[in-house]
Amino acid sequence: MELKTRRMLDRSFTTIGVFAIVLMAVSLVILLQPIVWRGAGAFIFRETVENRKLNLELLGRGSRAKVEIEITETEAARKPVYDMMAAFEAEMEEGGSAFRKQYGREYSELRDMLSELLGPLPGEKNPVLIRAQYGRTRWDRAQVKFHQIRYVEKYDYSDPDRMGVKIEKPRSALFESTSIEPLFGYLEENIEQMMLPKLTFYWRFLFDRSFDAHFFGGIWPEVLGTFYLALGAMLFAVPLGIVTAIYLAEYAGESRFVSLLRTCISSLAGVPSIVFGLFGLAFFINTMKISNGKSVLAGSLTLAFLVLPTVIRASEEAILAVPRTYKEAAMSLGAGKWHTIISVILPAALTGILTSIIISLGRAAGETAPIIFTAAVSVGRPLAIWQTLSQPSPALSWNIYNLATEHEAVDEIRHVQYGMVLTLVAMVLLLNLTAIIIRARISKKLRG
Amino acid sequence: MKGSKLIAMISVFALVGLVVAPGSAVAEERIIIDGSTTVGPIAKAFAEYYMSKNKDVNITVSESGSGNGAKSLINGMCHVADMSRFMKDKEFAAAVKKGRTPVAHVVAIDGIVMVVHPSNPVKGFTVAQVRDIYMGRITNWKDLGGPNVEIVMISRDTNSGTYETFEKLVMKKKKIYEKAEYVGSNGAIRQRVQSTPASIGYIGLGFVDRSVKALEIDGIVPDMNTISSGIYPIARPLFMFTDGYPKLGTHLHRFITLHLSPRGQEIIEEIGFIPVTRY
Repeated sequence: MELKTRRMLDRSFTTIGVFAIVLMAVSLVILLQPIVWRGAGAFIFRETVENRKLNLELLGRGSRAKVEIEITETEAARKPVYDMMAAFEAEMEEGGSAFRKQYGREYSELRDMLSELLGPLPGEKNPVLIRAQYGRTRWDRAQVKFHQIRYVEKYDYSDPDRMGVKIEKPRSALFESTSIEPLFGYLEENIEQMMLPKLTFYWRFLFDRSFDAHFFGGIWPEVLGTFYLALGAMLFAVPLGIVTAIYLAEYAGESRFVSLLRTCISSLAGVPSIVFGLFGLAFFINTMKISNGKSVLAGSLTLAFLVLPTVIRASEEAILAVPRTYKEAAMSLGAGKWHTIISVILPAALTGILTSIIISLGRAAGETAPIIFTAAVSVGRPLAIWQTLSQPSPALSWNIYNLATEHEAVDEIRHVQYGMVLTLVAMVLLLNLTAIIIRARISKKLRG
Repeated sequence: MKGSKLIAMISVFALVGLVVAPGSAVAEERIIIDGSTTVGPIAKAFAEYYMSKNKDVNITVSESGSGNGAKSLINGMCHVADMSRFMKDKEFAAAVKKGRTPVAHVVAIDGIVMVVHPSNPVKGFTVAQVRDIYMGRITNWKDLGGPNVEIVMISRDTNSGTYETFEKLVMKKKKIYEKAEYVGSNGAIRQRVQSTPASIGYIGLGFVDRSVKALEIDGIVPDMNTISSGIYPIARPLFMFTDGYPKLGTHLHRFITLHLSPRGQEIIEEIGFIPVTRY
């Protein structure tokens, strides 16, 4: 080959390489940017006075004096609204059945929405569910609700060949020349005084349990559950995996049976995770009965089985990569096989083994399917470590899915879902980082 | 040795979890609830309400579908099985064979509401028309007075109690058309309908919100009054099953009778279902 062609090939290869890396970086940014941005919304957001009320009354947080001043302030700003409503109700009372027929339904819808925005209206009894006891606690949700109050969403079905087209009409038009019409103008001008939005940093989102099915509060049970599951999986998978790897690399030799075994392990790595989940249910829970129903223990074991092939194969490769001369030197000094493995081969292979553990740890923390049937629940308390043996726990990966698809009020609590995603990503990153630091220290020690 | 150091570090991490756990009163007694995604919101709200009053109990709720709830109860893997349909003969037999006696507690009444995208001009239809849609006999909205758009039908999966009720009350044992799309929960149907203008789906009353349009069936609007009075044709009770009647005075007994208390009934109504005592 001519020198010129060779150089050109070289250069084009470099270009493709650089291009690939840039593409990766860009897609990572595109992927992470919304995760971080939206996830941060669970921690940093504009809270309304309702949130401060909730914090004070439910959790005893915040200064009572300050919140009470704010409540008086907002109540004063809200009073004209309540007065207008009372006036309109009186008007309806007098107006007779025609009047009631015209405005009855519209008014009750408006009333419902106002109570969703501001919390229970005066004279209403206090609801049981926390979500109904307070108005919108987040300013962004309050604004969505406010928009719904200002505008009626209607669909124009006039074109028979197409689906209806959404049109928004000011709601005030519905109540033209009644005593409640000025309400809309008043809301427009005074909504901030009525809600007092304030930027807040809710760091306790990580450490609070959820209140009222994730409407309020944080995600501590999920965080803890994920933590237990991932570390529990490692607790089982790592010793088992390393011992198997040592056996395969050093003791098994090269028989047909062993190569079959290796093939089996490799194909196990390709089995879909949901199959592991069902296996975990059938084997650990239904057959072995290691716990009475779902438990973190059963989930950890299932996850351990899931990551075991990765640990075994990578550890085996790491052990095989240790130069033969090391082993020979140890043997020639009179060390036995076991001694050689423990004191020479394993330390030399340790960084490789740790890499396999790091990869598996991230996988175990993020997997959803294996824990659906074995460990995960939508609601539960944070567990103490001994309770993991017998009790199921919420876990981030599963609860993200649960909130996204099954929750009855998905749109109201998107921020919790995003916060969970961010936390999960951060947790995997953190677990990996710790493992990487440990690996770096160990390999430094080994070299030095 | 290095390995032991690593293990020590890992266990330190595990312990950190324990130490950091703020205010987690250790609950020794537990109630495990599994089953229907329709009953799920009630179970979750009850669980959190009950736990806030009783610090010594941990109630976990999973929403995996009525069929799985029944299986869990039969296998002794849960204390309460949420079900949006009654137990089948087969399930009863399996339970009895394992020495369990399922006891039904009706916690609320629910209607199955047909929902479409709000941009859909169709206002309602008859039960027979719904059946025709899901049998694949009516495939276009124009046959129902809508625009010329093909109907996208969404159904629950066969593990669902809502599916079985729908099959019994609407389909009358006729097979659902093969083109129907199956999804795993009420919430998933609602989201699918929200995002697909030509779709139709069915969900429990408690899941209906402003983002979807509830249709009239036989000219009757599904709401608390029409359903509880039996005028609305597709209504059903929601169940919680236990293995035998729970021992009096236990947490399980108090939990399973929560729906009979005024508080419990308010919760059910606030979520959007109908308390059993409303006629």
